[in-house]
Amino acid sequence: MRLPVLIIGGGLSGLAAAVRISRFGQRVLLVEQHTRPGGLNSWFFRNKTLFETGLHAITNFAEPENKHAPLNRLLRQLKVKRSEIEFCPQLGSKILFENCATLCFSNDFNLFETEINEKFPGAIDKVRNLLTFLQKFDAFAPAPFRSARAFLDEIFAEPLLTEMLLCPLMYYGSSNENDMDLAQFAIMFRAIFLEGMFRPQGSIKDFIDLLLRHIQENGGEIRTSCGVQNIAQHKGYATAVLENGEEIECDYILSTIGSQETEALLQRNNGARDDTPRLSFVENIFQLPYEALPAGAQGTTIIFFNRGEKFHYQRPQNSIDPRSGVICFPSGFKGVAKRELVEIRTTHLAATEKWERLAMVPEAYQQEKKRCSGLSCSTAESLIGDFAHAVTFRDMFTPLTIKRYTGKIDGAIYGHPNKIKDGNIGLSNIFLAGTDQGFLGIVGSMLSGVSIVNQHILPRL
Amino acid sequence: MTGEEIKDLILEIIEDIDDEADLAGLDPAGPLREQLDLDSMDFLDIVMELRKRHQLQIPEEDYPNLATLNSCVIYLEPLLKDK
Ligand SMILES: Cc1cc2nc3c(=O)[nH]c(=O)nc-3n(C[C@H](O)[C@H](O)[C@H](O)COP(=O)(O)OP(=O)(O)OC[C@H]3O[C@@H](n4cnc5c(N)ncnc54)[C@H](O)[C@@H]3O)c2cc1C
Repeated sequence: MRLPVLIIGGGLSGLAAAVRISRFGQRVLLVEQHTRPGGLNSWFFRNKTLFETGLHAITNFAEPENKHAPLNRLLRQLKVKRSEIEFCPQLGSKILFENCATLCFSNDFNLFETEINEKFPGAIDKVRNLLTFLQKFDAFAPAPFRSARAFLDEIFAEPLLTEMLLCPLMYYGSSNENDMDLAQFAIMFRAIFLEGMFRPQGSIKDFIDLLLRHIQENGGEIRTSCGVQNIAQHKGYATAVLENGEEIECDYILSTIGSQETEALLQRNNGARDDTPRLSFVENIFQLPYEALPAGAQGTTIIFFNRGEKFHYQRPQNSIDPRSGVICFPSGFKGVAKRELVEIRTTHLAATEKWERLAMVPEAYQQEKKRCSGLSCSTAESLIGDFAHAVTFRDMFTPLTIKRYTGKIDGAIYGHPNKIKDGNIGLSNIFLAGTDQGFLGIVGSMLSGVSIVNQHILPRL
Repeated sequence: MTGEEIKDLILEIIEDIDDEADLAGLDPAGPLREQLDLDSMDFLDIVMELRKRHQLQIPEEDYPNLATLNSCVIYLEPLLKDK
């Protein structure tokens, strides 16, 4: 089989790339090793109920008239009409540093400014200076890593405010311990605080189905349960060998599976393992009747919290670090269809190697999962009110779950700490998009797929 | 294709990319990108649509020839004369 473009990975970056290429009538094949597409943001069935694996909220909310907003640019690039998606904006979220301060924010930045002004009198001018800086700053220009924390420390001299601003942005998009690249900070600040969050009506499955429909209507092809075993570059073309032995020849390969994961397929990392620490997380789902949502959930979408003196965004000593995390209420969006059973989701940092050691004894692994689920639940309860008694179903994904289903090294959702922003891995016809290119999250990964295709593949087809 | 037909083709493509584009007051001699508030990503779509619709291969170094409606006509007329 010979074709112009092969995409490896059916996560959101690969799906967006496939829509983009097929839209112009170019033949494209996307292969995904798992039985269903979606990657990190997929779905599964338990008790005849569809559960999303990820999806707290989609960032980069934008009104239709805001033409240059990343969300609208993305939809235009994919030729997906806004009317194909029903947008449910967040009710309101908060950054809660226990015994320190709480900052509420919404899709209206004025609220955040007012909150900062109230809680940090004197800091508002510095925040406005930050906004002016961000407006002029080109986050997409190639540049070496620059510490966002050092930058904020310098302009604010207000450690608590710095940590409170960093907490949500790190949880939703930093692959670096205790810091983030200033460019990534700028992208995430805009995505979360200036633009805001929403979720599509329905589930992530409906959203992914929409992308699949576009690919199919455009004439693109998707194969699931179809992993790639190795890839190779030749003069003027590239080949991929699938797990079933089939060999595919193509002009270009776009890999979305991670940089080292791609190197492994190329078999050119000389067996050297890169031990740069990667961050991983656990995700808990607590299902409960709508009426049982505690007081702290009312009118709220997401809580980014920290309980210690200092916010530690790093690999924990123990299997999880419940001192900080994210609590999400997927029912907390304007206009979401009301359901009898709703969810509370919690996220914490996790230590992959601890889970790996536990997994050698299955009972110990299960026991620790149970313990951590309980720990997370009681942590959430102390912040939002009791709900454990009403939980009808609970589940927890560890970094190993993520590794098993997506092949991510260490189950690290945000991939390698160092990003390859131009997607160039030193080969003329094999490029990288998605997590290790560096645009993270749902909108980020989709923009990654689209922009790498635009930059390296479409103009040359 | 005549010059007029080429202009219509480009306008049709732009409308397809951005159905809210304001095409009425367009100055044919002025840069399309600024007038229509297109970014470089959108601009690539014009090239790709020309390829999809008329199998035109426009090399990257020729993209500046598509800057204005008038320059599009000058550049595309010989390429589309038999279409
Ligand atoms: C629990 C959780 C919650 C999240 N919540 C949010 C949220 O609320 N909002 C948000 O914006 N983002 C969220 N994210 C992050 C977001 O899901 C990711 O940033 C994004 O989906 C990454 O997409 P990707 O395409 O880059 O990578 P992936 O989704 O990892 O896609 C890569 C794909 O490649 C496949 N693959 C791997 N190896 C091979 C191979 N050899 N052959 C074929 N296929 C292969 C994998 O199976 C996978 O499907 C969350 C993630 C998780 C895990």
